[in-house]
Amino acid sequence: MPQFNFAYFLPQLAWLGFIFAVLYFVVVRATLPKLGKVMQDREDRVIGDIGAAETAKGEADEVTQAYLAGLGSARDEARATLAGARAEAQRSLEARLAAADGDIGARLSEAQRALETARDAAVAEVEAIAADAAASIVERFTGARPAATDAAKAAKAALAG
Amino acid sequence: MAGPMEQFEIETLHPIEVGGYDLSFTNSALWMAIALGVISVFLFIGASRPQLVPNRWQAAVEYVYDFVRKMLDDNVGPEGRRFAPLIFAIFMFVLVCNLLGLIPWVGAFTPTSHVAVTLGLACIVFITVCIVGFWRHGLHFFSLFWPHGSNIALGAFVFVIEFLSFLSRPFTLAIRLFANMTAGHVLLKVFGTFVVSLGSFQALPYVFGIVPLGVNVALSALELLIAVVQAYVFALLASLYLNDAINLH
Repeated sequence: MPQFNFAYFLPQLAWLGFIFAVLYFVVVRATLPKLGKVMQDREDRVIGDIGAAETAKGEADEVTQAYLAGLGSARDEARATLAGARAEAQRSLEARLAAADGDIGARLSEAQRALETARDAAVAEVEAIAADAAASIVERFTGARPAATDAAKAAKAALAG
Repeated sequence: MAGPMEQFEIETLHPIEVGGYDLSFTNSALWMAIALGVISVFLFIGASRPQLVPNRWQAAVEYVYDFVRKMLDDNVGPEGRRFAPLIFAIFMFVLVCNLLGLIPWVGAFTPTSHVAVTLGLACIVFITVCIVGFWRHGLHFFSLFWPHGSNIALGAFVFVIEFLSFLSRPFTLAIRLFANMTAGHVLLKVFGTFVVSLGSFQALPYVFGIVPLGVNVALSALELLIAVVQAYVFALLASLYLNDAINLH
């Protein structure tokens, strides 16, 4: 096998050393560190962008949360205002109803009283007419007119009976 | 017809002698230089002015470099990134030498099928590992070979075995690559000769050559795979050995 011919070792090793040194120190060292830096920059930038995006998303979430909370509290407030207005309206309605009731009661009792007065007056008038009529009848039968008080007493007793 | 081992013959293209030592430019050196040229073109086009938004060439270089960096991240940890250019250089050199050697017709030579070259590469890894290990840990580096929590006698025994296994690493690394490359090329050559000898059957020319030709096509695909896998294995083992030197287990 030519591979184990040791006379070939030295020239191959020498050229390998030379070529590999050129490859490493002239070619690789001149290019790859720069490339590695760019790759690292890109990675950092992508990670930074992802971080910024995450921060922005967090902020947006907070804003949404605040908006929803505001919406909820506004809704609660509106509901409370509505309930207050409704209660107020109910109260004033009840008060007015009560006032009207009182008014109506007063006028009713007044009318009642007037009615009773009128009735008493009418009754008294009827008694007087009855007494007068009775006195006139008695006068026609007997020719003597009874005393007005007697006739009134008799008429009252007869009307009551 | 050329024998299956003839493809590994070293030919001197330009004799050079320095102080009585033979440093001739051979076909092996030529193909290593071609590999250097290919990698240089790849890197200078793709990575000499890197952009934040890469073009296609840069994306290709980044793909390979990222692969090496991930391998080091996984096997060594964050401190391994400093060695990414070295592992990248070794990986690319082995890969391109392996692949160039598979080109038919042009008389391609595979430098990595020679134990001298693979041993040289393995020694680059081994010396780097030793320098890094002693630089970071001093003589404490030897604790790499000492089993934790055992008595002195057993510990000393294991120490000797571990130390010998450590010393054998460049040889196993070198021989694995060289043997894979050599075996693949021998196999391709053997089936190639079958194509010629069966195809030249006088009564029915060419027909019988088709079977070994098909085998050779399949073998070429396999050898492409092996070329990539062996470059990967070489780089992977290099990073594992670096991990020993950096992290001591």
